[in-house]
Amino acid sequence: MSSSASQALDYLEQLPGTVHRKLYAQPSTALAVFRRMLPHTAKAIVMGMLFMTKPFAATDLDAWIQPDARAEREQALSVLESLHILGTETAPAGGAPAVGAPARSYRLAPVFAASLRQALMGSGSHRSFGVPCTGPPPPEEHEDVDIVDVAFLDEFARGQWEAILYYMVGSTGVYGTGGTGERVSSGTRTLLQLGNFVELRGGGRAMITQAGFTFLLQEVNAQVWSLLIVYLENAPSLKMDSVEVLSFLFMLGSLDLGTAYSTVNLTPTQRQMLDDLSDFGIVYRPSPTSARFYPTRLATTLTSDAGALRSGVLDGGGISSGLASGQTDDAAAGNQGYIIVETNYRIYAYTSSSLQIAVLDLFCRLTTRFPNLVAGKLTKESVQRAIALGITADQIISYLTTHAHPQMRKNVPVLPPTVVDQIRLWQIDRDRMRHTPGFLMKDFATRVEFEETCGYAESLGVLVWKDVEKRMFFVSRIEQIQAYLKNRARKAA
Amino acid sequence: MNAIDGSEHVATEAQAPPPALLTIILDTNPYAWSLLSSTIPLSRAVAALQVFINAHLAINSTNRVAVLASHTQQVNWLYPTAARSSRDDKKSASDGDVDMANGSSEQQLHNGSPAANSADKYGPFQKVEHELMANLRQLMADTTAAELSASTTTQMAGALTTALTYIAKATIQAGSALTGDVGGSLDDAIQGNIVTAGGGGGGSGGAGGAGKDGPLSSTADSSAARRIPLTSRVLILSVSGDLAAQYIPVMNAIFAAQRQHVPIDILKLAGDTVFLQQASDATGGVYVAPSAPQGLLQYLMFGFLADERARHVLVLPSVGEVDFRAACFCHRKVVDVGYVCSVCLSIFCEPLLDGACLTCGTRLALSRTITAIPALIPRKKKKKKKTGGVSTPGTTGAGTPIPAGTPGPS
Repeated sequence: MSSSASQALDYLEQLPGTVHRKLYAQPSTALAVFRRMLPHTAKAIVMGMLFMTKPFAATDLDAWIQPDARAEREQALSVLESLHILGTETAPAGGAPAVGAPARSYRLAPVFAASLRQALMGSGSHRSFGVPCTGPPPPEEHEDVDIVDVAFLDEFARGQWEAILYYMVGSTGVYGTGGTGERVSSGTRTLLQLGNFVELRGGGRAMITQAGFTFLLQEVNAQVWSLLIVYLENAPSLKMDSVEVLSFLFMLGSLDLGTAYSTVNLTPTQRQMLDDLSDFGIVYRPSPTSARFYPTRLATTLTSDAGALRSGVLDGGGISSGLASGQTDDAAAGNQGYIIVETNYRIYAYTSSSLQIAVLDLFCRLTTRFPNLVAGKLTKESVQRAIALGITADQIISYLTTHAHPQMRKNVPVLPPTVVDQIRLWQIDRDRMRHTPGFLMKDFATRVEFEETCGYAESLGVLVWKDVEKRMFFVSRIEQIQAYLKNRARKAA
Repeated sequence: MNAIDGSEHVATEAQAPPPALLTIILDTNPYAWSLLSSTIPLSRAVAALQVFINAHLAINSTNRVAVLASHTQQVNWLYPTAARSSRDDKKSASDGDVDMANGSSEQQLHNGSPAANSADKYGPFQKVEHELMANLRQLMADTTAAELSASTTTQMAGALTTALTYIAKATIQAGSALTGDVGGSLDDAIQGNIVTAGGGGGGSGGAGGAGKDGPLSSTADSSAARRIPLTSRVLILSVSGDLAAQYIPVMNAIFAAQRQHVPIDILKLAGDTVFLQQASDATGGVYVAPSAPQGLLQYLMFGFLADERARHVLVLPSVGEVDFRAACFCHRKVVDVGYVCSVCLSIFCEPLLDGACLTCGTRLALSRTITAIPALIPRKKKKKKKTGGVSTPGTTGAGTPIPAGTPGPS
């Protein structure tokens, strides 16, 4: 899963079950959650169970999944349970003979299953996939814009989004023109501050923070989600229902690019959202009072998965090649990479966008600029300067990888390993500690108990560190270990 | 801090599953479906297939689907819509080629259709459903009584070949999209070539085009070896039995699929064909012959939805015992024990009259013992082609253990 998926997933996971149930009532949301949030194995499990009439016995599930894929199974089940998609039943079924423990079985949450079935079969009349606007637009909206086509929407989205990014980059002071953000609305600026991406210094001038750098170096989809999650977290304070906000976002992900949709079916909260979203460039409205809106590519790729977005249609300045395909499904056709990294640490970036140059300038020593090309070098000094600003080596590497030139993509691995290793080493030079949030397990009564639990943690892939002598180990996630220990205790009792 | 190396990072980055292309071959043989109408009529099967396609598209937004109808006389595209059906009156204008470019025709249909864009359905699902149903209706409306009386079987070989050409083209396109501009010229160069091959298979009843997949599979092979831009599989929803008449083209298609690493999944609702079993076995696909066809949807969702990646995790149903018998080249009969030409390995069900191989023309010295049953002929080379452990009692003793009996090639 990409970082953007996990961000949104983390947010969703911490929501209570009641919110989940309300969300899943809408087929478009159920579909988007299924597509975007679930690991691959979980998708197969959900689809296999979707049209089952009876609960799925745990033993049958074990038989269905290959024995050596245990880690995948546990991961899938844990995500499904934390999203309240899968429920466990320990029904002492009438038919099952009492064999000590009652037979455990899984069942999909009824609301989720019903919605997903509706989405797949196209049944019901929930109107959750957007009401398209038919007929010609009213004449007064015809004046400012000749025709709203995909190219126009892309241009609009790119303009809005780059203005936000530029507002943030400009605040580093490297390129003095930014920082005031004339093109960025005050609402967006407040949001960036709330998300701790920028902070205001004296004279109302914005300064980018460490979180802001993280934000800046993400792929576009992850950026959009980061901002939207801040938006979601602050929705209650604006008297907006976060369920409505979320379902509207998921609905946007299922719309067609280049089609006009009507606002008649939207709740007041969602209409209010349209204003903010058009500030971000996620939707386009011909006028603030218009009864129609157009989702942009930022919106329609919201619920696409990482594979579709690797090529990030909005990255780079060359959005035009993404248009050749005209369809979101063919997003892979438009490839926007522009950076070439050589084994001698030289960097060539085929770009003329000042935003991209400003971002590169954060961690490169740029030497030469041509009309369509910037050349520079990764040096110890430049990378350590970036690290001092709070950028991590991983962020630099992932930025270079995501935006690698098509020629670079032919290499496996994409970036020269020497460069990748060196960037990491430069970071370690300064930074000799690594922290992993997690849980320390200790005070095991017996050696066997310790070894079995530790072995289980290892097979799940959550084990970070262990000390056999002291019977302690450290895990990054605890939910499944808890369940395991509970089961163990029950079995022992 | 002991994990500093570039490879680890790249491995996690490449984790995102590649898009999957699912090519479905729907056997629309009217005879077979009329026999099935009491258990599961075609309309219900297509409805189940619809949901299955939607589920496949739901898994990943880059997933793609293609549906072919293997009819009695010809193979038709159900989705994506061919630019112009080859059976159309204006055949001369289109010269039978199937234009598989998704863009233009789809766009046209999408804009023009009144049914498109209901708020209760997800756009992409709707589009597939609309085109598929329209094309299927068209196909049924175009079927004439004369055509039905001419043939009672289905053009499986043509359908398989068309599916494989489509997959090869999609793979190349996906590969060029991955590497950007460089692949573009290759794509253009190869496009005309493959479209023609696809049209040949789809246009006039398959068997002719089926044998020529050699060069095609080799190009796909080399591109698949580098990085996988697209994983493809074929699902055959088969209802007809007796494909022996198309043995050679079907087997050629199976071997082509094997080389392209395209698994062929078989869902056998009715009929019995040994070759489709061999197809799933040779390509590593799934084989299910449901005992209760009414539950078609659950079979599809549980057994056939898993793509390349999920198949590493799940235990998949497969046929326990595969029937490896072959069909003879002379009468297209499935044979347990046959005669094999020692030069070209053609299989015959009975000794040849003039002793000359029908395929390569080599004269085989078989005439003296022509009346004896195969087991008793001491000097002739009789190879059972992969009898798969089914050894007939009569042949085991006599056929092989005589070491002195191997004659020269002519």
